[in-house]
Amino acid sequence: MALADPTRRAIVARLARGDATVNELAEPFAMSLPAVSKHLKVLERCGLISRSRQAQFRPCHLEGEALDAMMSWIDDNRRIWRERFDKLDAHLRDIQGRGADE
Amino acid sequence: MSELTYTRVFEAPRELVFRCMVEPEHLARFWGPAGVSTPPDSIRVDPRPGGVFETVMVNDADGSRYTMRAVYVEVVEPERLAWTDPETGMTTTSTFTDLGDGRTEIRIRQENVPEAARGPEARAGFRTSLDRFAAYVTSVVNGR
Repeated sequence: MALADPTRRAIVARLARGDATVNELAEPFAMSLPAVSKHLKVLERCGLISRSRQAQFRPCHLEGEALDAMMSWIDDNRRIWRERFDKLDAHLRDIQGRGADE
Repeated sequence: MSELTYTRVFEAPRELVFRCMVEPEHLARFWGPAGVSTPPDSIRVDPRPGGVFETVMVNDADGSRYTMRAVYVEVVEPERLAWTDPETGMTTTSTFTDLGDGRTEIRIRQENVPEAARGPEARAGFRTSLDRFAAYVTSVVNGR
């Protein structure tokens, strides 16, 4: 997942404060420009960031709506498994408490 | 890269936990999250590679239904269970670890998680079956 990587999360956090160029984004990381560009491509491919076509330095822009969609998907998905496992936990206690496993 | 994991430890032997994940009478008791039931007669499980894994989720509040369809890709009792959603290609792998003290850890790993799509039109295509399911569950929890 695009946000599974700590560097990409840091890039997203930086862009939440405003648009930035690749050079500006690379600054806080001990990382080559091509390495940072690779992360930006992942973020761009899934629609989390966009880059202007015409500007010389092609500043990166965070797509807030896409980020919200992704975060809510992750939250919902996590909650489904949490609630499912809460129920499984109760079910396992229930069937074992009765001394039978059927 | 596109994967999510969830882990939980249960106070039960591994064989029993595994059976809960593949037997309809057990699945019916926990598969639907809060506010959602899964009637046992709506659950189809054929735990072998290529076999179906289908469940119907019913909103307890208004009776609306949602069908989840998946196909098993790996079944190694009682260690590992994996299924894939043919529509999205998302694969869910459950690994069961015997902790040696009567407890069992389940680790859920989801791969090929759908990525948000570029632009509002394409983003509509991001509404995959699991995404719709999440939206469905959210509407149940929010009382609608």
